[in-house]
Amino acid sequence: MKKSTEKKVKSISYQVLAIIFASFMLIPIYQAVITALTPSTSSWISPAPLLPKNITFYNFLAAFQLVSRLPIYLLNSFIYGIGVSTFSLLIAIPAGYSLARFRYRLRNPMMIFVIYANMFAPIMLLVPLYVIMKAFGLVNTYLSMVLAGSVFTIPLSTWLSVSYMQTIPVEIEEAALMDGCTPYSIVYRIIIPLMKPALVAIFIYAFITGWSQQFTLALVLISNDKMMPITQGLYQFFSRSSVSWGPLMAAILISTLIPVTLFLLVEKYIVQGLTSGSIK
Amino acid sequence: MKAKKSTPYIFLLPLLMAFGLFLFYPLTKVVMDSFYKFNFLNPSHKVWVGGFNYKWLFTFRLYSPTYSYFVGALLKTVIWVGGSVAIKVLLGLGGALLLNSEFLKWKKVYRTLLIIPWSIPWAMSAMIWYWTLNGQFGIINSLLLHLHIIEEPVSFLAYPVSAFISTFIVDAWIGLPFMVIMLLSGLQTIPKHLYEAATIDGAGDFVKFTKITLPMIKPVLLTVSLLSIVWTFNSFAPIWILTRGGPVTSTTTLPIAIYNTSFRYLMFGGVGKASAMTIFQVLLVTSLSLFYIRTLKGEKS
Repeated sequence: MKKSTEKKVKSISYQVLAIIFASFMLIPIYQAVITALTPSTSSWISPAPLLPKNITFYNFLAAFQLVSRLPIYLLNSFIYGIGVSTFSLLIAIPAGYSLARFRYRLRNPMMIFVIYANMFAPIMLLVPLYVIMKAFGLVNTYLSMVLAGSVFTIPLSTWLSVSYMQTIPVEIEEAALMDGCTPYSIVYRIIIPLMKPALVAIFIYAFITGWSQQFTLALVLISNDKMMPITQGLYQFFSRSSVSWGPLMAAILISTLIPVTLFLLVEKYIVQGLTSGSIK
Repeated sequence: MKAKKSTPYIFLLPLLMAFGLFLFYPLTKVVMDSFYKFNFLNPSHKVWVGGFNYKWLFTFRLYSPTYSYFVGALLKTVIWVGGSVAIKVLLGLGGALLLNSEFLKWKKVYRTLLIIPWSIPWAMSAMIWYWTLNGQFGIINSLLLHLHIIEEPVSFLAYPVSAFISTFIVDAWIGLPFMVIMLLSGLQTIPKHLYEAATIDGAGDFVKFTKITLPMIKPVLLTVSLLSIVWTFNSFAPIWILTRGGPVTSTTTLPIAIYNTSFRYLMFGGVGKASAMTIFQVLLVTSLSLFYIRTLKGEKS
């Protein structure tokens, strides 16, 4: 009897704590959603109403009318993200194979260096990256954003592909080697098909990180209005005297839809990859 | 696996080239530039100044009678990172324990709700928070007014102390989901029979937590905390979007100071001085990384 009441008390109090925790995580998103879904005039009520009144989808239309380049900014962000993912994979697959399958002098130092490189953030290399891109004439190009962005996603992409390749049994490759396959065709014909789920996870990880880092990199690498990613583009909703909050929040919701959906799909892979370290 | 000696190196070549061109080369450039005086107004005009930039870091003051701009930024970074990581670790552990508890229902719902803020690009999260924290129309003000915690709306980002606290709470909010999920996966590796044995021995929840849970997740807790410290240390976009380092210099952490010195304060700043600051940033991150790599290695053996 006493045990069961204790259980009930616990279960209720945990539920309450979880709801408080969840509210903290959801408050800003909640306001973003209600601001996007209510008429612009309700953005100017102080204090802000806690519950939405007069639901409307007008802001989603207004966002595109107010900032006519919104689709271009979204497309730019998408291209930067896809570029970073593709470039990261092109480097992470062969590097991962090299580190997962061969024992050689450079292997352990390289593994450690990959972890170290993962600690770098755009802000540390912003100035020299800008100077280098300028010297190559790449400022205001897709390529500059892709190359600079990849620097920060390649390390974890490599790490994730090493972790995954280590779980693939080596026997198939040894048999293929006996049959006269070269190591290069093994990667192409055996490894890549076998690690498809991991490749998707790495691709999406790099895409989302690339998408997130665009803001800082674009601050210096992109000055041409037509090349801006969505994060910079959103500043068009800020005018000198005020901010069009309703359309801005609608635009934010539209542009977070892609990364959020993708992330929900592969979150498990990314967490697994991050928790199963493979340093020896 | 057997293959020619050169094979692993050929596979590694693209990585080496990418790191060389976009990591090593920029880093050496930072080191070189820190001994020159020049700015982006006239980048071809480079003057060798020796250690002057480093001296400038400790002597140049901006609106502060006690600390130089750089030392002030460094001190703020330490407090800012401390505050943000403390929230991330404490709430992260709390959240993970809740999600791991057998008494909690709807775990999947909570987990999904947690993943959503994780996947919103940081800059967007900061922009949403900029609205949420708005002094007149933000929902935080509205909530606090309704709960009678405050009497009048507060412009959180307009005063030095509240802006400082707001920015690291936002940063913690952005990093919290990662923390919860990682610690949760650590908690799930603890064998259940340990707790069952402790229950038979009559141990209470608190004893179980300190004698079983904490020691068992210590390695994960340590590595994740170190990772979080480095990431928080490098955090730029959230502060930049919320306050640009202001009011005055109250939220100017090292990354903000580096950006301002190289790209905004063209009159008294410059690339050389910003590069000297970057050296400190790199050194700090490097020493933290060494710690991190050491704990990773310790975990395995």
